[in-house]
Amino acid sequence: MPDLLNTSLTGMIAFQRALEVTSHNIANANTPGYNRQVAELSTRIGSGAGNLYIGGGVQVSDIRRVYDEMQGLQLQTSTTTFTRFYAINELAGRMDTLLADADTGLNSSLQSFFNGLQDVANNPSSVPTRQALLGEATGLASRFQSLDRRLTELDSEVNNRIDLAVSDINTLAAGIADINGQISLASAGGRQPNDLLDQRDRLVMALSEQVSVSTTTQDDGTMSVFIGNGQSLVVGASARELAVAGSEFDPTALQVVYKASTGSIPLDTSLTGGNLGGLLEFRTSMLNPARQTLGRTAAALVTSLNAQNASGMDLRGNLGGDFFSVSPPTILVSGNNTGSGTALAQFADMSAVTGDDYVLEFDGAAYALTRADTGAVVPMTGSGTAADPFVADGLVIEVGGAPAAGDRLMIRSARDIAASVRSVISDPQSLAFAAPTRSAIGGGNIGNASISPATVVDPADAALLNSSVIEFTTPTTFTINGAGSFAYTDGQPIVINGSSVTISGTPSVGDQFTIEANYGASGDNANGLLMADIQSLGIMEGGTISINESYGQLVSNVGSTTRQVQANLDAASVIRTQAEESVLATSGVNLDEEAARLVRYQQSYQAVAQVVNVAKTLFDSLLEATRR
Amino acid sequence: MRVSTYGAFMRGVTMMERLQSALDYTQRQVSTGRRIMTPSDDPIASARALEVRESLSRLTQFERNATVATNRLAQEEEALNSVNNVLQRVRELALQANNATQSNESRKLIAVEMREQLDHLVQLANQKDGNGRHLFSGNLEDVQPVSRSGSVFTYNGDQGQRLIQVGETRQIADGDSGASVFFNIRNGNGDFAASQATGNAGTGVLGAGSLLNPALWDQGQYTVSFTGPNNYEVLDASAAVISSGAFQPGDTLAFRGIELSISGQPVAGDEFYVSPSSYQDVFTSVERLVTAVETSVNGDASRASLTNGINAGLMNIDQAIGNILDVRTQVGSRLATIENQVDSNGAFALSYEEMLADIEDLDYAEALSRLSLEATMLEAAQKSFIRTQTLSLFNYF
Repeated sequence: MPDLLNTSLTGMIAFQRALEVTSHNIANANTPGYNRQVAELSTRIGSGAGNLYIGGGVQVSDIRRVYDEMQGLQLQTSTTTFTRFYAINELAGRMDTLLADADTGLNSSLQSFFNGLQDVANNPSSVPTRQALLGEATGLASRFQSLDRRLTELDSEVNNRIDLAVSDINTLAAGIADINGQISLASAGGRQPNDLLDQRDRLVMALSEQVSVSTTTQDDGTMSVFIGNGQSLVVGASARELAVAGSEFDPTALQVVYKASTGSIPLDTSLTGGNLGGLLEFRTSMLNPARQTLGRTAAALVTSLNAQNASGMDLRGNLGGDFFSVSPPTILVSGNNTGSGTALAQFADMSAVTGDDYVLEFDGAAYALTRADTGAVVPMTGSGTAADPFVADGLVIEVGGAPAAGDRLMIRSARDIAASVRSVISDPQSLAFAAPTRSAIGGGNIGNASISPATVVDPADAALLNSSVIEFTTPTTFTINGAGSFAYTDGQPIVINGSSVTISGTPSVGDQFTIEANYGASGDNANGLLMADIQSLGIMEGGTISINESYGQLVSNVGSTTRQVQANLDAASVIRTQAEESVLATSGVNLDEEAARLVRYQQSYQAVAQVVNVAKTLFDSLLEATRR
Repeated sequence: MRVSTYGAFMRGVTMMERLQSALDYTQRQVSTGRRIMTPSDDPIASARALEVRESLSRLTQFERNATVATNRLAQEEEALNSVNNVLQRVRELALQANNATQSNESRKLIAVEMREQLDHLVQLANQKDGNGRHLFSGNLEDVQPVSRSGSVFTYNGDQGQRLIQVGETRQIADGDSGASVFFNIRNGNGDFAASQATGNAGTGVLGAGSLLNPALWDQGQYTVSFTGPNNYEVLDASAAVISSGAFQPGDTLAFRGIELSISGQPVAGDEFYVSPSSYQDVFTSVERLVTAVETSVNGDASRASLTNGINAGLMNIDQAIGNILDVRTQVGSRLATIENQVDSNGAFALSYEEMLADIEDLDYAEALSRLSLEATMLEAAQKSFIRTQTLSLFNYF
């Protein structure tokens, strides 16, 4: 009889445990990251009774966590991919609307400015029209600045987010290390601390949202977490820390470093995936190139307009000055330099300027220039002195100071330019819309030869504004200012003192043509038309890309990258949902299933309770039989 | 497949969220009428739209430029028309004055009117446009183009011509300088000018003359000198005789590729000059014509001198009228070109607008049917969600 009671007692205990597990499952049906648990029932080995073995009842041999490691890994990887695109998409979308919006983009200002130029060309002597153009010029300059400011704001937001992500990662790593410690204690007797494991898995998942990690589980139940190129973030119960630090050249551009025992290792290029990876990727592949393109566009526009304005004459009879100003390419000194080398870069040929960042390194004897992004060597000519500067990719670079071997300088050719655009003409009379020189046919000419308007070929010629007389001594030869004898070819340009004219037709002996300074030509717009032409002129990329096209490319590049990221995000979202569903299909709680279990274990419990009753009845019968 | 309660719930919610976001996007498209909301919706089309918009804006600017040019050219045309009327009147008066029935007094009266016409002509040349800029001073808009000191007329402007951009590749001059309209006009018949010496005693009257062989014409100065009433010789600038011959009234003399007829009877010692056509401004031409008309006639020799003077003056006036006509023709063709350009700009603008509509505008039929499909799907998802979420074994406990 006692065996009967014992056996039923094991049943009651086992089913009570099973009911407890079921109730734990039901309670956690909506807990994210909870893996359902199953009470494993097994028979208790009975004891011999004579020549028989009688079973000893039931026991809960294990409370198992239903968890598929492969599925968990898949969810972790797909989450890393998803959060990476999520971070990029959010930032890229904002940049996308910023650049193309009529109120914030460059196009409308650019168009208004060039329309203003044409309006002045239509009526060059009208000071109010000129004043309106100056207004448009200021508007264009401030549009460049504000666009760049918005991009810089994005940059500092990226910096902030990187900082947050890193501190998140550190907190999570510390949490994982802590749980590792608890797990190694708790699993000492070979028991599985299911809920601690769940908790650690949740932390690893949260870590995967921030950055791509790899994990291995050790024999003692602890989990090691690795990051980047295999740097260990968590080993056993201890965690290492990541930190943010300014980059080599720019203390304001935060990069992620790994605090190893030997010092800090920069991790930026090896950190992929996750929120942090996405932020770094957005900065290098979208934000910086956009600022470079914008800066290069600004530099090209300003350089061309200034050159053209300087090739004209203003209403006061002076040659034009700068229309806009921009700062030269930025030079950044490496924080590791031991020498005091400096450099000075200027734009020389906008059609060759790439807008990229370069690193200028001194090896103790000579300088070498490499691209900052790819490390490819950029050939330079010249010797780097003021008289003979280095020339590379449309830039002239002058070096100075006392560099030490291994010293590095960064040349940011265009990234900071857009912010520096200023309209520097404040006097409407100073817009040089007239050509600097004009030509005329002599009043006493007999021949039918005519002369083209003078065009300036060298605005820097010191004698540009001097008057010259071309006089024909025979129908085929002429003198210039009474000197020399030059052969005349119909329609051939004649260049004198930086101006070019073309005489065509048949001149007679004694015919004169004059070139003189274009003073007082308030109605001349020849140079203004050339300025207006700059809008559609190929002035970048070896003369193939105009200002508008350059900006259009920026918009479409950002647009298509954003679109690509969106598509990738959608795909990653689907993959992550699938992974999540397969994890939930295996490990998630199904309430109907648990309800059915409740019923089953309740019934079983009632049944074994009934066995106790039977045992009691048997015992009572025995007592009854033996009473008296 | 095993379904977890949480998973089923999450899936339902995710699906509804997705449908809602699609519905929201379509709804925004419908309410704005735009197919593309941000460039990433269709990067290629967006970049194209930027280009098209820029082209459209340029076309609008060209239209404005064309209006400016048209207005200026119309003003110039009007001024040239008045100039032509004045010159025609001067011509009529000169012909009238040349009539043998006119007395010295009546010619003086004619000369008075001619002088008034000359003043009017100067006024026309110094005319200003609506903005107070001189029409005919080239690029020196602030300078009065023609100044007069006695019988000397000076051009103060330059020979520049302003171009106006009226099309992507077309620039049109919006005016002509006073030099080309009033000053750089060939005198005589355009090739050479003939005149009589002031003291001629005979009655020789020069005909118009013509250039027969341009290859022989060396643009030199020549003197036809009569050694007797029936003999002449032609001397070049260095007084060398290059040709000589017998002369009968009405004969045509030919030398150096030109021919010149002389009617009337010259006498020995009479001289006629031939010089290559040079620039003579229209004001000087009129002034000289008036001076000729004003001269009193007292005898056959001075009658011949008057006729020669008026004939030469008329030739110059005809050159000027021809020049004005040339300029007017150019102005007219520029106006026509602008009109063509404006038409073609308009056609381009229209096609650009259509292109822009194709790129950016929403196909409402498609969008609305998509909207209703998405709405239906969302509704179905919501209903099925509620339906499945209420199913539970616990309901039967």
